[in-house]
Amino acid sequence: MAIMTKAQAKNFAEMDDFMLELCDFLKSKSVIDATTHRSILLKGFSRMVECLQEKKVISAREAKEAMDKGFTSLVYSLAK
Amino acid sequence: MYGWAGQRLRVDLSTGTITKEPLTYEYRRKWMGGRGFNSDVIYNEVPANLDPFDPKARVCFGVGPVSGTAAPSTGRVTVTCKSPLTGGFGDSNMGGHWGAELKYAGYDQIVVQGRAKHPVYIWIDDDKVEIRDARHLWGKFPREADQMIKEELGDEDIHIVLIGPAGENMVRFACTFNDVWRAAGRTGHGGVIGSKNLKGIAVRGSGTVKIANPKAMMDVCNRLRQAFKPDPMKIGLYEFGSLCLINVANRDGWFPWRNFQGGAHPLANNMSGETHAKTVLKHREGCFACPICCGRFTHIKEGKWAGEEFGGPEYEHAVPTGPRVGILEDANDIWHNARLTNDYGMDGIETGGVISAAMEWYEKGLITTKETGGLELEWGNAEVVDKLIPMIATRKGFGAILAEGADRASDKLGLGDKGHYYTLTTRGMTLPGDDPRGLGFGYGLSFAMGTRGGCDHLRSLCCLELSGALYPGLNTRILGDERPNKPVTTVGKPYMVYYEENQKATTDCLQVCCFTTHWCYTVLTPDQVEYLNAVTGLDFTEEEFQEIGERVYNLERAYWARQMSGAREDVVPERFTTEPMPQGVDYQTNVGVVFPLSEMLKKYYKYREYEPGTGFPGERKLKQLGLDYVAKDLAPLRSKYLSESEKKKKKYYY
Ligand code: SF4
Repeated sequence: MAIMTKAQAKNFAEMDDFMLELCDFLKSKSVIDATTHRSILLKGFSRMVECLQEKKVISAREAKEAMDKGFTSLVYSLAK
Repeated sequence: MYGWAGQRLRVDLSTGTITKEPLTYEYRRKWMGGRGFNSDVIYNEVPANLDPFDPKARVCFGVGPVSGTAAPSTGRVTVTCKSPLTGGFGDSNMGGHWGAELKYAGYDQIVVQGRAKHPVYIWIDDDKVEIRDARHLWGKFPREADQMIKEELGDEDIHIVLIGPAGENMVRFACTFNDVWRAAGRTGHGGVIGSKNLKGIAVRGSGTVKIANPKAMMDVCNRLRQAFKPDPMKIGLYEFGSLCLINVANRDGWFPWRNFQGGAHPLANNMSGETHAKTVLKHREGCFACPICCGRFTHIKEGKWAGEEFGGPEYEHAVPTGPRVGILEDANDIWHNARLTNDYGMDGIETGGVISAAMEWYEKGLITTKETGGLELEWGNAEVVDKLIPMIATRKGFGAILAEGADRASDKLGLGDKGHYYTLTTRGMTLPGDDPRGLGFGYGLSFAMGTRGGCDHLRSLCCLELSGALYPGLNTRILGDERPNKPVTTVGKPYMVYYEENQKATTDCLQVCCFTTHWCYTVLTPDQVEYLNAVTGLDFTEEEFQEIGERVYNLERAYWARQMSGAREDVVPERFTTEPMPQGVDYQTNVGVVFPLSEMLKKYYKYREYEPGTGFPGERKLKQLGLDYVAKDLAPLRSKYLSESEKKKKKYYY
């Protein structure tokens, strides 16, 4: 499910430290609520992938790829 | 009740009153144990303006809900006070077996306050607690006093916390030991204990820790113990102790040569763990229930110091009074100095920090033999260091000035800003022997932000950048990116430090060794939650675990805020941010690097929700963490910190 543009994905992919901005973005798009935002920051990237998969924003394959390849893969999935 | 003993022991040495205070479920759930319990007591009971040596000051010893169980390394203890070195929040953490024994005696925490009329020690024999005469023990090394108390009480198997002569003389960086050699090294609580005329605390516990779900506990513990076997960091620590880091530090340019004038030296291998193991290692030692056993026992066989024996050294114990002061040719001099700082009971890091600062003042002509009382403080002068360590511990001659710690010594000598340039401190405490220009930018950020002053190699312990590359996929799992596993990069570091600081704080509340989790990444947070729940029968989640750490971290940060210490003090020594790393060996990986602290601070503040101007914890965050009363305390201080008069103050310590 596309929740960002390719340009936005590129912008995230170029960030040195993306976690907070990406959480804020997901919250601004109502993909996650404040509780999940907090939970992701406390638990880390795997929690972010898990919850995006739970919400069917990404597929199981994309989730696996994100865990293998990291956040760049994830943000481009979010732009598909 | 499962896990916790459920009570705090309070001993007032002025009145001789001994009380036992129950710890409620809500309290235990909020602060977990150890470091959390201690930080709460210090925040609430030791006002910002109280002299750390005032009898009203507190010193706390805390253990956690899994202390004394079969989870990996559950003998740790946090010792906390208002630091006489920094004047701010101070704690330190030690291994050994005393923590488990305290739990078996039925206590989660001891708070000591007041001042005895003459030297005493506390004897805890389960629920029987006595204050006993220690006049005959005053002046003794911990190894001597330990034996004398055991003979006096007729029990070889008790465990004892002790200070050395430096603590008795209120050296501002005196430390505490248990089981003779396991030190809580940093922040100077040994001096606070000495100021109370307290030599030590002996404990015999015949109870046990009630486990809610023994089967689940044994399953998780067995699984983790098996998992430790092939762990690469565990293997290094077991084989060579933390000295396994010497050759790595030299290659990556974070070896503290001459007060960090350099980061590598061709002779570094003289003191490596490999060399130590071949030449002077007598045996390996482990703390309670530890699957790693990083402890060393050293026996010097040759040369001037032949026959000397002691427990240790650790990397951070050996480098300060070795390469940091220019001693490297004969490693026996280094082992000997480590033995001395142990016996006298002083933090090796600050001892090396203040001596190396003095050597650089001497080199640069800021002081001469006139100030030093004739001591020629040349780099590598092992004879002078051998003299100085006892002089500091007993506050004799020039040693009395150095006993104040690096920054205060600089001021006592009237050296002004130039003097402070060579004290490699943050918030009044000397940084450990790890140069952030090589060890990593995450570590450097945590040095600036540590809540006990210029440490903090143990506060956030950014091993994701030090050893993350040994665990493929680990950085991605936590940070979403493998690139942060390179030390000399800012990529991913603000979030790494935020995450690891929270993780480490809760680990210190559990009171398990930080080497057994997020150093050896065999044990991750979910594993810790699993054994915590098996022990307590409760339903802690991973979020709650990390949140407790965040709460503790914010409370400690607030303690500094009450001292008017905030954003302006979030610095590392200028040497790291302005002097490019020189070349020491031809295979060094970080030549020319400077440490870019300012590039990471803003983002780190955002994760923490620190107020941009003051650097104080934000009101929203404090309330989210259930620290409304702290928010109220800080409210009037925010504008004060931003006032012109405060801005003008140079704060090297408090
Ligand atoms: S790893 Fe070392 S310091 Fe930690 S508990 Fe084990 S022996 Fe003690």
